[in-house]
Amino acid sequence: MQVTGMLTGARLLAHVDFPTSDVLGPDATEDQIQALIDRHGVIFVKPLFRGGVGKKGKAGLIGRADDLKTALAEKERLYFAEHRHGNALAKANGVTFEAGIPAEHEVYFAITDDTRFRAPTMTITHRGGVDIEELGKSEIVSVPFDALTGLKAFVVANALTSLGAPKEIISPLVQHLPKLWELMHHYGMTTLELNPIRMMPGGNGRLTPIACDFKCGFDRDDPRVGRLGLPDYLFAADISVFEQEVNQLRTHQGQSDVFVINDKGTILAPTFGGGANSLVTEVLGDAAIISSDFGGNPPYEKMKAVASICYRHFLKQTNVLFIIGGKSNNTDILETFRGMGDALREHFAKHGPVPLYVVVGRGGPNLVRGMGNLADTLDSLGVPYRFFGFDSAISEVVAYAKRVDQWMRSGGRDEIARAMNINA
Amino acid sequence: MYRQGIAGLPYYLGIDRLDQIATPEDRVCVLNILGGESRTVTPVSHAFSGGNVVFGTSPGRSGQVLKTPAGDIPVFNSVLEGLKAGHRFNTGVVYLPPSGVRDGVAELIRVNPDLRKIVIITEKIAVHDAREIRAMAQANGIDIVGGNCLGVADSWSRVRVGGALGGDHPEESLLKGSVAVFSNSGGFTTTIAQYMATAGWGTTTLISSGKDVYIQYGARDFAHGFANDPRSRAAVLYVEPGGYYEKEINWSKPVVACVVGRWKSKLTRAVGHAGAMAGSGDSAEDKERWFIEAFGTDGVFSAETPHASAKGALVTNIADIPAALTAVMALNDMQPDFPPRGSLALKPWIANDQGLHLPPDVALPIVTAPAPYAGQITALSDQIGAVIARQGMKDKSGASVMDPKTQVTSVHGHTVLDLALQPLNAMFALPLVHELADAHDRALLDIAVSAEVNLVGDPILVATDAARDAGNAPNAIMAVAAAITGPRRVERALACAQALVELFAKSGLRDGRDDAFDISTISVDDETRKLFLATQGEADDPRPEAMLAAIAARGGRSVFLRLLQSFGERLSRDAILAAITTTIAWGPMVRKRISRLTAETLPWYLRLYGVMVGATIPKEHHQSGSLWGIPRSERFQNWTMADLCCLAMTGKQPGPTEALYIQILIGLLISNGPGAISAQGAKGAVAADGPQTPERVQINKAMIGFLTHSGYSHGGNGFEGMAFLLDQFRGCALTDPTDPAHGLDLKAMARKFALSYKEEKRHAKELGQEVRALPGVHHPIFKGKPENFDPRERFIARFMEERSEYNIFHDFYRHLVRELFEVGASPYVFCVNIDAIIAALLLAVLWKDYQSGALSPRDLETAAFTVFLFGRMIGAAAEIDDHLNRGRNMDTRTPAAACGHVL
Repeated sequence: MQVTGMLTGARLLAHVDFPTSDVLGPDATEDQIQALIDRHGVIFVKPLFRGGVGKKGKAGLIGRADDLKTALAEKERLYFAEHRHGNALAKANGVTFEAGIPAEHEVYFAITDDTRFRAPTMTITHRGGVDIEELGKSEIVSVPFDALTGLKAFVVANALTSLGAPKEIISPLVQHLPKLWELMHHYGMTTLELNPIRMMPGGNGRLTPIACDFKCGFDRDDPRVGRLGLPDYLFAADISVFEQEVNQLRTHQGQSDVFVINDKGTILAPTFGGGANSLVTEVLGDAAIISSDFGGNPPYEKMKAVASICYRHFLKQTNVLFIIGGKSNNTDILETFRGMGDALREHFAKHGPVPLYVVVGRGGPNLVRGMGNLADTLDSLGVPYRFFGFDSAISEVVAYAKRVDQWMRSGGRDEIARAMNINA
Repeated sequence: MYRQGIAGLPYYLGIDRLDQIATPEDRVCVLNILGGESRTVTPVSHAFSGGNVVFGTSPGRSGQVLKTPAGDIPVFNSVLEGLKAGHRFNTGVVYLPPSGVRDGVAELIRVNPDLRKIVIITEKIAVHDAREIRAMAQANGIDIVGGNCLGVADSWSRVRVGGALGGDHPEESLLKGSVAVFSNSGGFTTTIAQYMATAGWGTTTLISSGKDVYIQYGARDFAHGFANDPRSRAAVLYVEPGGYYEKEINWSKPVVACVVGRWKSKLTRAVGHAGAMAGSGDSAEDKERWFIEAFGTDGVFSAETPHASAKGALVTNIADIPAALTAVMALNDMQPDFPPRGSLALKPWIANDQGLHLPPDVALPIVTAPAPYAGQITALSDQIGAVIARQGMKDKSGASVMDPKTQVTSVHGHTVLDLALQPLNAMFALPLVHELADAHDRALLDIAVSAEVNLVGDPILVATDAARDAGNAPNAIMAVAAAITGPRRVERALACAQALVELFAKSGLRDGRDDAFDISTISVDDETRKLFLATQGEADDPRPEAMLAAIAARGGRSVFLRLLQSFGERLSRDAILAAITTTIAWGPMVRKRISRLTAETLPWYLRLYGVMVGATIPKEHHQSGSLWGIPRSERFQNWTMADLCCLAMTGKQPGPTEALYIQILIGLLISNGPGAISAQGAKGAVAADGPQTPERVQINKAMIGFLTHSGYSHGGNGFEGMAFLLDQFRGCALTDPTDPAHGLDLKAMARKFALSYKEEKRHAKELGQEVRALPGVHHPIFKGKPENFDPRERFIARFMEERSEYNIFHDFYRHLVRELFEVGASPYVFCVNIDAIIAALLLAVLWKDYQSGALSPRDLETAAFTVFLFGRMIGAAAEIDDHLNRGRNMDTRTPAAACGHVL
């Protein structure tokens, strides 16, 4: 859950009265753009991405214009721009027009929870506007501060002093930056980064920090995010319908993030436990359809609902339904297996049977009762299966599921389909 | 701001050695002790630790207790209340929901000056709260483990605090040894301990750290306690991406680190905890590098590349931990703690290949599970046959379903179209075994039913004839026969079937026809044995011998019959019937396709099949030793169900083509799903008897339910199509309706009718009357296109085309729908529907006898109704069996609120 760019950023910063550059959205009229140019002389045209997308400037994705014609040409160039950063490919849908802020000084500022200090930590440099990785160690400073008292003016002042920052920027920053802690801490953010903050001279020569780019990450487990009233679509970038649907059921009682690994995969693996999830996803590779962690003792109804969603989206293409976890510590195997089995029975009844092989690797409370219940369901559906207890290495069971998938791909699926009297 | 704990550290840490994390002296208070998770976990922890929980809190539940094997744990509204009651503790365990965790921690810290440690189990705590929790704990000098963890345990002192390390049997995995475990994954903390035991390594302290942004007790803290713990000779770390917790730690003793999560960097967007921003240098690969550098190895340890040093080894799969640990320890001249326990090899506990032949590397043989699981699995396998959950079955069926788009119904996964092409005896077996019976089982079924058809000397015959004379339709006549085939008439046959199932239930027999099965392993007591033997009163019944002879003649194989025959005494017909049904049912039952209840009630269905078919044959044709002139031995040894059904309808054995079309007709009529009136009748009858007490359900009465819920509109209207065709072909010199060289101009006949029908329509419209519907033409679903088809009619048409077979009546219908359109009597080309096919096929079978005068129009009507009843008898059996197995008492009733009142 990340937000980048000034279109939303300016809105968020307004909650704590932090000054921002003027910004227009993709639906700005030519008159509005012209007026922006008239006011500021120079404007920047930036593609509008959803989610956390950085390094746009380096990728040549920031346009500069001092007349309407150039601004519109840049709009056309950048409106649907694509940006690859690592493995992530982002596609823009729209542009923003942001006022150019004349400034001598650019500041980088971020607050995040730094695991080196296990505390909220401010990172700051007066040599902002560049990749901070490129700065020397003496040019940037990270300062942890107390979460209960928050980011105080003296923390900012001390940090800037230790960096040897120009005197004229210290006072305005000390005045404004602590507000950002209020924004971060009280609205469910995990990270807040402004880069650059341009120090704009006012009529009296005093500088005002103006946020010219914005990036933040939200904590999806924090209900404080809701206070901002942000629309859901902001976070919907690249999330499949399945993910949206299934993650709505996310609570503290079971189920962490579920996401699609390969929507053409053939092993549907409801996984229990974060460790199992990592192992299974790693070893299955492209064969895995989803990566999931349904552990945490989900109650029957929830397990059934989650399984139903998984089946509805992916069972048709599935060769192996692979229910896998270590020896559960508290997740009730009977409840979870009953939920998944009943969902499968209902899915078959509603959408028709599919050729399937079920592999289970599991341990935990009510294990044999759970296995017995699932076996009864699969028997009644005519689905073949093999259940492993916790005394088989989970890694071996994962490899076994892959072997079954291979067999299914090379004729096994047809064989099961024939036995079940259905189409492969 | 932090209180200084261990000197020299820039933050508070109170735990100096690992053995201080979970000690026998620790006294514990559990917040939200009666919550769902704690309620199951805390009693195990408490008992395992010798009773270390002094009290728990649960607002509003003060005065209650949590029962545990080590005694009750008192519950208070708040921590303060518990302290005021005189309890003292130094360790808090938090099971509160996420939004309450921060306040719970504050409560523990503020009201209890003795507090030293907190273990937070709750997951999905907001980072906001976690950072404040950290700050509170640091300022007040409290060690915290978690959140999102499974707590801590000590294998030496057998103490477990918070969470469920070791699951519900901690003693199985928390084995005393020399290795400390620190894991980001709660579940894998236990799994790793189990894995290590296979190489002989036990544990000292196990810590499930959690993997939130804030890991309150981190790897660095662990490293400090590990260094000072003389019990721990080595450590195993399980590490996930995100955070710098493991960076630049100076490990004082050997360590095996398992770093997982490379896959996360391949994803196209950031995942994992919020702190793990892409490119921030804390990916799985980064962490692997930290450890490789710390250990001075050349890469990842695996079976192929055993990179290890005396300092440690890095693995990326937990399965490699035991070998890596042994290798590292060997470099330090240290041996495992105990002989290896268990193995990591694949051990399937439960499997069913559903009769498939799988490759050897997939079809791994079942392995006996360790105690106590083996006993539980054995208890499961004692449960022979499918176990089916009961539910309200009103308007629902587990046996049949109609596809609303194609209007094609399936029964136990087979469409009626496919079934129509199966031998009739396979159709009769399907409702009862839920599979298509093979030739062997079909032959046994033929014998069983043949033995019931001839009703000579049976009061049923008198009753059915009286019913026939009284002018009843065939359904009412069959109902009379079914009524007399009541529970007492099948009591012994059912008892025989139950006895056979019981005798063989634990024998390991997989196939009831297994010639190699050693029946000497089955011991039968005298009372049971007597159950199978013919009585004095049955001395004159010739059928047992005839059945045995027929079974022998048809090559029948039956383990059950072999057992009964080994008695060396005369068997009753009931015993042989039960042996046949158990033979047919055994495979599907052990494969769990059918329940034991179904297998044990099967004789009743077969007896009903025979009696109901027999009842449709007039009394005079039932003679001692012969039926309609067919000798018993021939019938038993050669006749099929199709022959019997045809005999009942036409009085003679059909030729192969006739039998085929009777079979197709019956197949098409098996079921229209649970919504059909006939199915509702059968289901209502089961519901009324109460399927939850299955032994009280009268299966014969359920058959009557279906029969009373069929009639001239539902079942008898097949005759309307025939009557329509007879009208059209009246006076035609048609001798063989299956000969395409019939010499008739069907197009002209169809056009003539179409024109008259158009006129009739126009006339009716003028008078404001309803236009009569044409039987066999049009369908409420298959309509509206320029040319329309009923897929069921197309299926049969294609089948006939493939066999180069011809049916003039069907051909006429095809012309008719076209001509109706051509002359403007229909807005588009109507479909020829399934009723037309039924009428056409049946009339073709009966045409010659009708032409010769052997059959009257009334006989044709009876035949049309009877063929429906034969088909639906199969479908009804499927619904009855299904409702008996799945339904609840009186579940077909409609609530009063859903009923209407009209005036």
